[in-house]
Amino acid sequence: MDPLEAIRGTFFQECEEQLAELETGLLAMENGDTDPETINAVFRAVHSIKGGAGAFSLEALIRFAHVFETAMDEMRSGRLAPTDEVLKTLLRASDVLADLVRAARDGDTADEARSAAIVEELKALGPEGASEEAESEEDWGDFSFQPLSAVTLETPAAAGAWQVRFRPRADLYAKANESALLLRELTRLGEIVVELDDSELPDLESLDPEAAHLAWTVTVTGDADEAAIREVFEFVDGDCELEVTPVGGDADAGTAPLGDLDISALLAELQDSQVPVAPEPEPEPEPVAAAPVATAPARAAPPPTEAAADPAATHRKPEAGATIRVDLERVDRLIDLVGELVINQAMLSQRVMEAGFARASGVAMGLDELEQLTREIQDSVMAIRAQPVKSVFQRMPRLVREVAAMTGKPVRLVTEGEGTEVDKTVIERLADPLTHMIRNAIDHGLESPEKRAEAGKPAEGQVRLAAAHRSGRIVIEVADDGAGINRERVKQIAVDKGLIAADAPMSDEEIDNLIFMPGFSTASEVSDISGRGVGMDVVRRSIQALGGRIAISSRPGKGSTFTMSLPLTLAVLDGMVVSVEGQTLVAPITAIVETLLPKASDVHSLGGHARVIAIRDSYVPLIDVGMALGYRAEPLAATQGVALLIEGEGGQRAALLVDAIQGQRQVVIKSLEANYRQVPGVAAATILGDGRVALILDIDTIVAVSRGADSLRAEKRLAATG
Amino acid sequence: MNQTTPTPGALRELISFRIGAQEFCVDIMDVREIRGWTAATALPQSPAFVKGVINLRGAVLPIVDLAARLGFESSETSDRHVIIVAQIGEQVVGLLVDAVSDILSVTDDVIQPTPEVASDTAKTFVRGLLAIEGRMISLIGLERVLPDVVLEAA
Repeated sequence: MDPLEAIRGTFFQECEEQLAELETGLLAMENGDTDPETINAVFRAVHSIKGGAGAFSLEALIRFAHVFETAMDEMRSGRLAPTDEVLKTLLRASDVLADLVRAARDGDTADEARSAAIVEELKALGPEGASEEAESEEDWGDFSFQPLSAVTLETPAAAGAWQVRFRPRADLYAKANESALLLRELTRLGEIVVELDDSELPDLESLDPEAAHLAWTVTVTGDADEAAIREVFEFVDGDCELEVTPVGGDADAGTAPLGDLDISALLAELQDSQVPVAPEPEPEPEPVAAAPVATAPARAAPPPTEAAADPAATHRKPEAGATIRVDLERVDRLIDLVGELVINQAMLSQRVMEAGFARASGVAMGLDELEQLTREIQDSVMAIRAQPVKSVFQRMPRLVREVAAMTGKPVRLVTEGEGTEVDKTVIERLADPLTHMIRNAIDHGLESPEKRAEAGKPAEGQVRLAAAHRSGRIVIEVADDGAGINRERVKQIAVDKGLIAADAPMSDEEIDNLIFMPGFSTASEVSDISGRGVGMDVVRRSIQALGGRIAISSRPGKGSTFTMSLPLTLAVLDGMVVSVEGQTLVAPITAIVETLLPKASDVHSLGGHARVIAIRDSYVPLIDVGMALGYRAEPLAATQGVALLIEGEGGQRAALLVDAIQGQRQVVIKSLEANYRQVPGVAAATILGDGRVALILDIDTIVAVSRGADSLRAEKRLAATG
Repeated sequence: MNQTTPTPGALRELISFRIGAQEFCVDIMDVREIRGWTAATALPQSPAFVKGVINLRGAVLPIVDLAARLGFESSETSDRHVIIVAQIGEQVVGLLVDAVSDILSVTDDVIQPTPEVASDTAKTFVRGLLAIEGRMISLIGLERVLPDVVLEAA
């Protein structure tokens, strides 16, 4: 890739992080966090975005970030109090900033009117008539190289001094040497003053990242001798221009003119080089220095300078443990390989058992250890893909602000359990359903402020978004404190739309679940917010596609809660291995409520092959899995098999009759669609210890299919489109 | 090796295999590997010519009984059967055949167009005929070997 493009990509990636930081900080302040460090963090985020934007000449972004930054600076210096009003403006400003960043990234233009309005609001917050120029200049210092500005690490002493002129050639970097380390090495010899000569640094456009453009003049003060200094550069001898001349100290007065000469030459250079840089504060070299592209010249920016010149720079990356960016494909490849290792290990164990080794034999014990190890490796690898749900939760406050503004309902979003970790893919695919549900919660769930007042509730509605780990799954709740589901109306709509019969007896729970039916939408008028032609059925489908389920509970006058339960990863599944008509199948354990041995007296026929089984006074349909999948034509006698009591996505119960249970195990999910297509009744495949493929049951489809031919056709259609 | 007189440029290699008494061939570029038969896991709701799926080094590979797919009598599978692992578009599919016989290097002009016949199967799969040493070998196109999803659902 074009190196500039790569840097640009990194910049926008970092912008996203800064924006997230920005919003987190502002929200914390809104909740009463007055820690100066929080304000600083917000300031730094805006500042960094501005700095990067400057490097790419993103004018709109720079201008807006600058105004924003000025306001933040006012707050940082205590001249602007973080009142609710101010914070609301700042939050809106952060939304606009995010828009501008995205617009800059995609080459679009953002909503100018909106940003102009916010700019005015921000300016109103800022200091009257404050000199923007002065402010600006002082700031730009951070990300432009200050050519030849002398940075004093430690006070130079007047003792014997050496001047070291060091100009690396490209070869030096090509041999994996690092100027910064050499310069640092010099600090061991005495106090040093480093001057950077970037006069040969070309424009960013013409920059050859493989070449060497920088040079340094180091004044070493101390009692080191020339040999010691030269020794530092021993390994790069020949790959750089090196001049070591004595300066300063009275003993070397004779050679002083030489040093002076150098300095005056440098001063001339300084003046030359400053001309193009000073008036137009375009901090070109900064992204090179900040970019993680480990090209040699990029690293050549002297770290001592950076550290000393900009205290803010040291804060730029919070020291929250070292992290690396890794291509997702590499992680996935690793996960695949580990999956295969697990299968292979299981195969090996099975073969060893078959070969008749005793449990206590060395081989078997070694295998046990191997099993534990592979399991641990698998867990650790899975953990790489796990991310806190924060990344998706973070997008919601903005959504809430926008929907609240559109509906005119004041809303407060409360989030809990943001640190809960789940697979990255799950997180990515959660964003859409969550967005939809939160929109719904505000638009349909919450009442208008007047109605809330009538009901004696605070005018500000509350939407709660919470995540938690529960028995190996992640549970996400979206709850509102609104009026709850209007069951009368829901039922009426369902009847009107022909979804249910008018006289169908329905429990409250069943009525609540009607909103998940395709073609159901309670919005009496199509609003800008929810009426996008997407209903809760789509939400449910996308959750199901992730192997999750969604349920609703609602209390009139108190509000509704949507509860989603999702697997932590899409790569493995805890399964019950069963056999049916000689085939080995896997049922997802999450769906199984209990297993039981049916007694003849509990099983009743309803005519044809339809049977029900009595489980603690309630009757649930008994479905012969072998028949449902077409493995056998005649049903198995209930007493000859084992029944798995399962609960489907909609909460409906059924008992699946299988021949026998083999055991419980974690299986690696393998796609059937990759090389074939979706098969009704089968969710995916896996590979068992004997190396054979076993099918993973799609319990809901099996239940639906056995309910009647209609659903069978529907499922087939789904399979065809899916 | 049955080498016909090769004309440089338009040379292509075909793998020929047997199903019953018939000989067929497919383009060698479509073939990923050839392996012995292992028992497949049956798939529910699948056409008769889909034998099931097997584990190919961690991937789930559907097995198509090419005899049944081409409208011949499908034979009882045994260890002597062979699976030709073929790439069809994005998918990898195993083709169950009786035996692999040869690699043919032919030029395009040796391949004769399929004569007009009534059989739909012939129209769907046979791309041409080769006469080699007195044997007739049908060149098979693999694009439609897997069940057609849209047709199935209709």
